[in-house]
Amino acid sequence: MHLTLENLQKGFKKTGYICDEETILTVYLSLVLEKPILIEGPPGVGKTEMGKVLAQIYETDLIRLQCYEGLDENKALYEWNYQRQLLKIQLSKHDTETKQLEEDLFSPQYLLQRPLLQAIQAPRKVVLLVDEIDKSDDEFEAFLFEILSDFQVSVPELGTIQAKQIPIVVLTSNSERELSDGLKRRCIFLYLDFPKIEKEIEIIRARVPRAGKILTKEIAKAVNLIRQNAEIRKKPSIAETLDWTRALVSLNKDRLQSSTIKHTLSILLKNRADQRVFHEQIGADNLWERSRSGY
Amino acid sequence: MHDCNVAGKHKKLPDYLENNIIRFACLLRAGGVRIGTSEVIDALQALQFIPLSEKTLFEATLKATLIKKAADQELFKKHFALFFTSPERKRKFQEIHQQKQAEHRARIEEAEKVLSFRGEQMDLSEMDKTVYAYMPARDQKKMQDFLQMNESRNTLSRGYRPFLETIVKGRLNFWYKQLGREIEEELNRPDAGDEELNAIQDAAAGTGRGGYNILTEDMQNIARRDLPRATILIRKMARLLVCRISRRYRSCKSRRKLNLPATIRHSIQYGGIPFRLKYRSRKEKKPQLLLLCDVSGSMIRYTSFVLQFIYGLNAVVKHIESFIFSEGLERITPYFQQGKGFDSIIKTIVEESKEWGGGTSLGKAVRSLILNYEEELNRNTIVIIVSDTRTIRHRDAVKMIRRLQNKVKEIIWLNTLPRGDWDKYTSIQMFQKAANMFPCNTLADLEQVLGKKFLTG
Repeated sequence: MHLTLENLQKGFKKTGYICDEETILTVYLSLVLEKPILIEGPPGVGKTEMGKVLAQIYETDLIRLQCYEGLDENKALYEWNYQRQLLKIQLSKHDTETKQLEEDLFSPQYLLQRPLLQAIQAPRKVVLLVDEIDKSDDEFEAFLFEILSDFQVSVPELGTIQAKQIPIVVLTSNSERELSDGLKRRCIFLYLDFPKIEKEIEIIRARVPRAGKILTKEIAKAVNLIRQNAEIRKKPSIAETLDWTRALVSLNKDRLQSSTIKHTLSILLKNRADQRVFHEQIGADNLWERSRSGY
Repeated sequence: MHDCNVAGKHKKLPDYLENNIIRFACLLRAGGVRIGTSEVIDALQALQFIPLSEKTLFEATLKATLIKKAADQELFKKHFALFFTSPERKRKFQEIHQQKQAEHRARIEEAEKVLSFRGEQMDLSEMDKTVYAYMPARDQKKMQDFLQMNESRNTLSRGYRPFLETIVKGRLNFWYKQLGREIEEELNRPDAGDEELNAIQDAAAGTGRGGYNILTEDMQNIARRDLPRATILIRKMARLLVCRISRRYRSCKSRRKLNLPATIRHSIQYGGIPFRLKYRSRKEKKPQLLLLCDVSGSMIRYTSFVLQFIYGLNAVVKHIESFIFSEGLERITPYFQQGKGFDSIIKTIVEESKEWGGGTSLGKAVRSLILNYEEELNRNTIVIIVSDTRTIRHRDAVKMIRRLQNKVKEIIWLNTLPRGDWDKYTSIQMFQKAANMFPCNTLADLEQVLGKKFLTG
């Protein structure tokens, strides 16, 4: 794809990823400046999806690194294949050329490539998705600096490995902890929030075309109302909105009803405390009435 | 620190796009946004790829490259609208700014005139004069009457002045505490670089949420209309705090360490060849959190914060022990285990607890904790204390805190007393030696606590 703002807009449209112009512009800037894009926002707004969509638009591979507490270079970058190295030592027991053997043992064929190295070594431009970077430790974050700024990594036994192609890097964060200034400085920043009602209607129409017009509008409005309640801890995500829509369509509903809301609430709110808050402070009857008004 | 005054003291840079981007970055920095040179370079590079005639694209480009924190986006929006505006509007800002400065000078001159005795100015600091200048007119009048009364007494000589100064200073100190935010804003607003930027900064301070930043505002002064926003922030921060201190993997300088005995033991099945290397795990046990919140009379103004904080922590951690204290100690953990909403839990606690609004005896409360809840205190427990440190028998309290410190892993003390006041109390210095104390007077303070290195191990 020849990279222009218009082409990128078309690409997003083609993949069915509905977002506003500002989001597309921010992604465009990260691509033209060849800088990683750091996407922050609440869970379920489409941060991870962005990486997948970019891989689709560029018709390339998506290499995903899921971050977690305790993730280190061995799991993210590379590890020596110890077993294979030991076998080689056993097989070469009677060889006298020990220096040659040592050099062989630390050659790329004994290197197990992990996602970061795979992305750098890939023969063509790939999308590297570093998911939930906020879950990793500060130590790992600092280690990412070298890759994200210079697109190269240092393997002590092999030297510096330069990227063959600069990958498209997407980092996502749920803001569980504040990321370092160093990391942020190397990235273009995008904050994705829950969509407005009109955008969510578009998303439902694109993903669940079987849903009727009125039902779609009522669902979008109802979900938006639930999200506005500060007491609800886990706000319904876009994926949950879509699941709810699919469930209602499969129940042959063309409008929201108070009883339907009560019976299917567990698709939207998945913990007991949130469901209790919903019944105490919002209520199915109230939500039904408010979601019908204005349309 | 970035020096924004690149063209010399208060001289405006020529009106080029590049200069304007640099000046805009300076304005944001003065507003508290952290922007480095690399971000400015990114912004300038990015602008080459968009049509500059499209204002929305221009704004979005600057936002994507200069702003790296969701919380700064609102400030960016406000400053963008004020900076990239018509020259007429900017001139208007400058006129208002100059007028305000002139008014300020006139007020100070008036203060100097009034705060004198027998024709000599009193020995008062700039801050004292400023406090007088911004006091309500009725109280200014009271002070004027008091000084005039003394002036008219012929029996009082010039030697009486130091005594009078002490009385005036005491009164002004009272008003400093009342007008803290307004005065600080007036005196400590950072220089944005040139007169025009300072004028825009002034205009920005006078717009939006009553001219104050919810993050830097003393939590007791947060306006009622902003409480829902503050609530969301407090709960989010409580979640972040828990996430930070309960990380099981702590950063460590060395890489994974080889577990030699386990490797050798495992290698026996391969004839002594260490076929699979075994490593030492860095996994730590999740700490047990114990919350100790002061709900005595002096903390009443922070009640809203304390309650939201307790609720926020309990919402994200299943096994947190929560206590409130004033003259005694009360365990409130069971209230949170019923899974009820905030309003109903707090209503029940306030109705049923005897501790609200009492005097403070921290020593007694901690002693009770040690004696009655010993099973909760071990080397894996992290105690979070939320209190302003004002207590009776503070020496006894310090002793008890030390005893507690010996029993638990760590004590994190969130002090609601402003940092500037800490030096005034010897008790705080004593408590500081016994616990890790952090100012927690504003939401920004709480945010800063989260960034402290000690929390990452």
